[in-house]
Amino acid sequence: MKKILPTSNAIIAIISGLLVLLGYFFPGVFGNIQSVLIGWAIILAAFALLLGIFNLAMVHWKKAGTDGPSSIYSIVLLISLIITIIAVSISGPTGSLSLWIFNTFQVPVEISLLAVLAVVLVFAAARLLTRRPKWYTVLFLITVLVVLLGSVPLFFLGEVAPLVALRGWLTQVPAVAGARGLLLGVALGTVATGLRILMGVDRPYGG
Amino acid sequence: MEQVLSVINNYLSLLFVLLCLGLILFYFLSDHNRPKISLRDIQAFRHIRREVDLAVEAGKRLHISLGRGNINGLQGGAAFIGLTILDRCARASSNSDRPPMTTSGDGVLNILSQDTLQSTYHSLGTEQRYDPLNARLTGLNPMAYAAGSMPTIHDEHVSANFFAGHLGTEIALLTEAGERSRSLTVAGTDSIHAQAVLYATSDEPLLGEELYAAGAYLGAGPAHLASLRMQDILRWVLVVAIILGAIIKLSGILP
Repeated sequence: MKKILPTSNAIIAIISGLLVLLGYFFPGVFGNIQSVLIGWAIILAAFALLLGIFNLAMVHWKKAGTDGPSSIYSIVLLISLIITIIAVSISGPTGSLSLWIFNTFQVPVEISLLAVLAVVLVFAAARLLTRRPKWYTVLFLITVLVVLLGSVPLFFLGEVAPLVALRGWLTQVPAVAGARGLLLGVALGTVATGLRILMGVDRPYGG
Repeated sequence: MEQVLSVINNYLSLLFVLLCLGLILFYFLSDHNRPKISLRDIQAFRHIRREVDLAVEAGKRLHISLGRGNINGLQGGAAFIGLTILDRCARASSNSDRPPMTTSGDGVLNILSQDTLQSTYHSLGTEQRYDPLNARLTGLNPMAYAAGSMPTIHDEHVSANFFAGHLGTEIALLTEAGERSRSLTVAGTDSIHAQAVLYATSDEPLLGEELYAAGAYLGAGPAHLASLRMQDILRWVLVVAIILGAIIKLSGILP
């Protein structure tokens, strides 16, 4: 049984993957079966989300029982999780209580983290010269500076036309060219990864 | 007319996929008898191998962050590479006191990471080392994921962090946490914005398609080497096609 299960898992995964892929090329023939399989995947993903939340609760339940200084955070998380589940169950996902929780706690915390992110990025840029003292690091930092200065009006000067023009050229020509090059590499890598899974070489499903 | 173009587009896409598949199979079969294929040196992968050894010696843990990509979409490709890295790290550190830990921001990815750990330990005959709580779901949106993963980097005696998956600019918070806990950060993602951030914040950024070469560099098998060669060939084909297209456009042949 232990040997049969991985093989059958792989066969099911490969056939399902092939049918979904063929559905994109021949929608008339395989479109229906593709929709059915994707529908099943969405339902399974919803259950996986529930299992993930259970995993999150279990991790923090274990941490809450330890003497470490961070156990208090785990207790807060567990209490918040229970309160949120009860509140959303009573008022519904778009109810006033759910929206109050979202707008009062989640949104401000996320915005605060975004602000921290901005500071982190400034410090990272400052540290970059010591981390990678190369000519292209200098070029990277000069480009960042030019784009930033070209994006906002400067004190006493307002918008500096050459800077704005340079910023426009940098963001529309070299940046777009570089990004497209990177995206082509990412696309080829994604195709290769997908094909390895379809061939049954990579089996992340325990096959 | 639109329908005809759509059909031609579908057939061309199928042809492209078949070409990729054919090249992978060709190199997979022809490289079997070759002694060793030399790969271009990528410092990040050299450091991954070194850090895995050091973590085992120092009794420390490896943290693999799989991001928050949904495997039903395009973002899943990078996450699958993360799972390959997880498998290789779990194998390499199988005799360590502290098994590797993964964090993810998607329910399916969390289950797949548990499954990867379990099947790796099963294949090594060390099932008792498997703990489902070493594969953690830490948050479902970008900031929640970053905030939930940071304690793992700080509190779990992590010596190296490998970020491989779909992550946005929030990755800067995670690499900063790695910097503060004096652990190495090797990071690659499919997001262009995050790659720019990684260049500035990560010890070893993996840019563009470098992330997708992880399996070949970490010894995941001949199929990974074959797919890497396929990527190299098609990249050159695309480069030539783009240059030719630009020349044709400049010469006024195309409107």
